[in-house]
Amino acid sequence: MAVQQAGLGKITLKNHRVVSLGGVIQLACGRTHEVMGDAADMFAIATAMHMVGPVLWIGCHNHVRSLAPTGLQDFLSPARIITTSCISRQEVLWAAEQSLRMLKNGCVVTALDDGPNLTESRRLQIAAEEGNALGIILIAKRAQTSAAQTRWVCDALPDQEIAWVWRLTKDKGGQVGTWKVGWRAYNGENKDGPNLIFMAATAAA
Amino acid sequence: MGRILSLWLPQLPLDRRIRLGDPCTNGPFAIIVENKNAWRIAHLTPAARQAGVSEGLSLPDARAICPDLLTAPADPMREGSLLRALWRWADCLSPRVAFDPPDGLLLDIAGCAHLFGGEKEMGTHTREQLADMQIQSRIGIADTKGGARALARFSDTPVAIAAPGETSQKLKTLPINALDVHDTIVRGLAQSGLKTIGQLYAIKSGELARRFGLTLTKSLSGSLGHEPDPVTPAAADPIYAARMTLPEPIGYKSDIEGVLKRLSDSICNRFVKDQKGARRFTLTVRCVDTGDHLLSVGFARPCAEPQLILQQFSRPLDELKIEFGADWFRLVAEHIEPMQPRQLALGKVADEKDSTAHLISTLGNRLGFDHVRKFAAQNAHLPEQEFKTLEILDEKYEPIWKACPRKRPIRLYPTPEYLRALKPGRPPVAFEWRRKKYATQSVQGPERLTSEWHYDGDKRTRDYWKVQTSNGPRLWLLTYPGETPPHWFVAGIFP
Repeated sequence: MAVQQAGLGKITLKNHRVVSLGGVIQLACGRTHEVMGDAADMFAIATAMHMVGPVLWIGCHNHVRSLAPTGLQDFLSPARIITTSCISRQEVLWAAEQSLRMLKNGCVVTALDDGPNLTESRRLQIAAEEGNALGIILIAKRAQTSAAQTRWVCDALPDQEIAWVWRLTKDKGGQVGTWKVGWRAYNGENKDGPNLIFMAATAAA
Repeated sequence: MGRILSLWLPQLPLDRRIRLGDPCTNGPFAIIVENKNAWRIAHLTPAARQAGVSEGLSLPDARAICPDLLTAPADPMREGSLLRALWRWADCLSPRVAFDPPDGLLLDIAGCAHLFGGEKEMGTHTREQLADMQIQSRIGIADTKGGARALARFSDTPVAIAAPGETSQKLKTLPINALDVHDTIVRGLAQSGLKTIGQLYAIKSGELARRFGLTLTKSLSGSLGHEPDPVTPAAADPIYAARMTLPEPIGYKSDIEGVLKRLSDSICNRFVKDQKGARRFTLTVRCVDTGDHLLSVGFARPCAEPQLILQQFSRPLDELKIEFGADWFRLVAEHIEPMQPRQLALGKVADEKDSTAHLISTLGNRLGFDHVRKFAAQNAHLPEQEFKTLEILDEKYEPIWKACPRKRPIRLYPTPEYLRALKPGRPPVAFEWRRKKYATQSVQGPERLTSEWHYDGDKRTRDYWKVQTSNGPRLWLLTYPGETPPHWFVAGIFP
């Protein structure tokens, strides 16, 4: 079976870096990616884990306050994380735009209730392009038509100890698909291998 | 030969309280200091003195003598700033003023006294001025620093003057304490029968030095003018500020930015020369009709670049409403810190650090610097106590993460969220949380935790269960053992 390259637009190949999440899944920098579902946090963490430098986590107060570095430490150093708590959706979007523009080559995670609309997401997209930053937008409720590069729906799987299913429901420059993802190093074994392993790639969701 | 005026403020801490209008100072009141593990009376009001309290008494003794006595501890910081204010005020007496901490000033008044009509008049004038400010003072004038200090503190008259060349004559009858030497030396001299300064004149300085050390002879010869001991005036702290007044009011944002550019250029040039930077800038815009508007911006690290200042001010300037224009501007730099010369960007790392600091300033200026935070580990075992968040600019703690030894969830709710058990069990077999129904598939636990004895929050013992639901999410359930019926909460979510 041909290895599918997800999350990678044709335009981005020329100008921007690519963050590889364990080989098969690749996310383009200088773009925003939307993530939904129960395990959306984990997708953002997995991406940040594969990057270097500061990770900016922007969201409303309640969202940011419940983030626990004692759990995050298994994936990335909590010292890299800068949290920003805002009081309104406007502030969140403003902070996200500023961060994407100014945090060169950084990772910006933005938590929103409803997804950004076309105007908002286009602004974020342009900002990300300028700063060459990777933007992850966590959507808690409902997504709207947007200019994001990809959209993922992530859920935890009950059958394994640590496993998720990541469904790519929209990709501007590639094909959609579904991946089952496991975490190998969680209990300390298998330190050398890639941390996120991809157990199966099922065709077209 | 110089002429030195020593200004002694014998009860500065008490005077500070009186000046503030503290009602306590009307009755028996004393300032206390901690000395040799005991609180002792340092300064007291006349009412307290009348009641029989005296300086040096320990606080319990003083309370026994005068049960109505009110006290307050000395506050060296505030007293220091009052002394600093007086140091600036003393400019009206002489251009050369030095500190004599903790409660005095030294003025070089050579060539100044005649402006007040003589030294005696100058002394009385100074005392009157200070009395108007409700500050008690004593003054000594002599040829030397040591002489003036001794006269101010130990002579009978409030203004004691030793005419030029008569300092040694005047000091003769003063006790040896008047020389600025250590108590052990004074005691040693007293044991040898030497009580006044005059008695020391007859003794060869070599012998004195051999027996009591060089400090005594140095202090003595300094006071008598055998050795130079000039007043070194303290320099004022530089103020980094710039001001611009315009003949006609302006109102366009681009014009105001032009003014701001010039102001910040002039401040930053001085910063670069002095290798300093400021963390905060305040711009005063005086509108012709609506008066002063204060705009301020902060920085994540000391800044001395006009470009960055302009950038951060662009938002507050946008929000500023000007109708008829502004014609007076002042930019002040605050929180000034030294800035080490930095190597110009070496590769990417320095560049990225710069961009992060710049971003933090931008976010902090709009959202507030307390909303931009970082994590720090804490040594505790309750899950919510294992870490804390700090302001990003907090530099007391190193941003190094000490790993927590236990597996913990990635989301931890500050107040655990109540769940409704549909089918009871330990933990519930089926439950509803956030309007979703979950069924338990497998469980691990319980992990029983009790708070430390000094913990202020909820002291109940807790049982934590790691639950794999058949819907997918791995939840951390919490219950308090011993409660009937048991209540269950969701404490967090595992990856």
